Amino acid sequence: MRRLPGLVACLAILLCATAAAAQGPRLEPPLGGLPAPSLGGAPDTGVPPSVPTEPTTPDLIVDLSLARVSITSAFQGESILLFGMFDPPGEIVVVVAGPSARETVMRKQRFLGIWLNTGRQSFDDVPAYYAIAASQPLQRLLARSAGGEILSLEDRLSSVRPSTPRDTAELARFRSGLVEVKRREGLYPAAIGQVTVQAGRLFRVDLPFPSRLPEGVYDIRVYLVRDGKIVAAVSRPLPVGKVGFSAQLAGWAADEGALYGMGAVLMALLAGWLGGAVMRRL
Amino acid sequence: MEIYLPIAEQSMNVFILLGLGAAAGLLSGMFGVGGGFLATPLLIFVGIPPAVAVASQANQVVANSISSLQVQWRRGNVDLRMGLVLLAGGMLGSSAGVWLFTYLKRIGQIDFVIAVLYVVMLSAIGLLMLAESLSTYFKRKRNPDGPRGKLHSHYLVHRLPLKLRFYKSKLYISALLPLGLGVIIGVLSAILGVGGGFVLVPAMIYLLGMPTAVVIGTSNFQILFVAANVTFLQAATNGTVDVVLALLLILGGVVGAPIGARLAAKLPGLALRALMSLLILAVAGELLTELLRTPSSFYSLGSREVLP
Repeated sequence: MRRLPGLVACLAILLCATAAAAQGPRLEPPLGGLPAPSLGGAPDTGVPPSVPTEPTTPDLIVDLSLARVSITSAFQGESILLFGMFDPPGEIVVVVAGPSARETVMRKQRFLGIWLNTGRQSFDDVPAYYAIAASQPLQRLLARSAGGEILSLEDRLSSVRPSTPRDTAELARFRSGLVEVKRREGLYPAAIGQVTVQAGRLFRVDLPFPSRLPEGVYDIRVYLVRDGKIVAAVSRPLPVGKVGFSAQLAGWAADEGALYGMGAVLMALLAGWLGGAVMRRL
Repeated sequence: MEIYLPIAEQSMNVFILLGLGAAAGLLSGMFGVGGGFLATPLLIFVGIPPAVAVASQANQVVANSISSLQVQWRRGNVDLRMGLVLLAGGMLGSSAGVWLFTYLKRIGQIDFVIAVLYVVMLSAIGLLMLAESLSTYFKRKRNPDGPRGKLHSHYLVHRLPLKLRFYKSKLYISALLPLGLGVIIGVLSAILGVGGGFVLVPAMIYLLGMPTAVVIGTSNFQILFVAANVTFLQAATNGTVDVVLALLLILGGVVGAPIGARLAAKLPGLALRALMSLLILAVAGELLTELLRTPSSFYSLGSREVLP
């Protein structure tokens, strides 16, 4: 019987802590923190598309198993199934590019026996995520497809602008460093995904997204390649964003840092006070 | 069970975080220090970005110190005047520290500075504590009922101006001394995400000459407000406080602290201090090897900036 009040109080801490977080400023959540997706907008590839991309074309129909990637409190990465149908013959290439941003690559060097960051280089339009999948070995498809619209990761990155000029060999080293880090985080899958084709016209591919996923509107492009030429292309935006509690917290932290900080202090005071009081009773 | 941390922007096992909190709580219960000096490097080892680890750990320190302060205040173990002087310094130091943190983060050297500061401080404190407990052990062996020594000795530092009377600590010393100490603790607190108890407590005993009874309560008093200031400023300027992470650490700590206190009551104080010093040295050693070992990757990324 002596333990019962303790248990009730334990529950109370949890409730109060959540309430403290929830009773912060009643701000409108930034709608998942996403700008409005632009359907079929120009990609960041820097190359004008040779074929106008549309949500659907008679030759190529595409859909996704999920319309958006929702980063919830239980998010551990996501695998999205992209599937569709095309008019044979032909091969399918899928390119997924995350939103571009400036990334700074830092390089460690040994200095007096200690490893520290000595070099840094920023690049201006680095895609947050980049993955390619194809129904045939990509080299063969790419070698024949003219226009340079489908870019392998290496081609895509060789066009990123350095924020400050530097000699070519050094830039190349920083670029490969960038790829190395992004690979480690699962943001630039090393292997080219396999698009499986069934009955000559149905295709499907799993797109893997890791748990540490930058937010933004991702651009998914599906190309139908016939005889080395792109005959149809479809573009689908894929919004990636925090939703629910995570989104609210992140929104407050970004927009109302001071209020968020006060809320965090209040939460800690409450939890510490109650926790201390409860544990001493037990 | 995985949980997504909204500010760290990654998912992490709940039990790892609860366990880390419990380990920090255990230490705080056993030794009366916050345990942040151990929890922050461990958070970084499990993959939390250093900036988020430091800021969220400061948030945890707030909870930890209020729950110890509850007890110390009731027992009258807080020298309020000393606490306020320390706090004035602490506020200055922590505000400057957050500014310095932001600057170091921008130039990409924050991880390095965090690691070096930890190595230097932890090895110094670990060695001092180890030497102290060993020498006490041998002295006691040789001469169990020997003279206890003077209450405190007088050095050059006692000639500084602005002398204040601290009744509860039975001290008449310059206010500049605790003020300066407060500034240093504040800077450490902001950059390392620690309460700073592991520096403050020995400094109060050996440098200021305060009686041991009021040291823990008074240091808890100053740490509470400094950690609150750090949490607030980190959230307001860097947006790096992850409350989900902090709450998990706090919950773990709430469970760990009383267990540590019970253990401390059973173990002899000397052995406890020797154990603590070895633990501190082990963390310092691990961080030092991290700095010296050839890294598995020479490259890392700074923060992403979306260009207009």
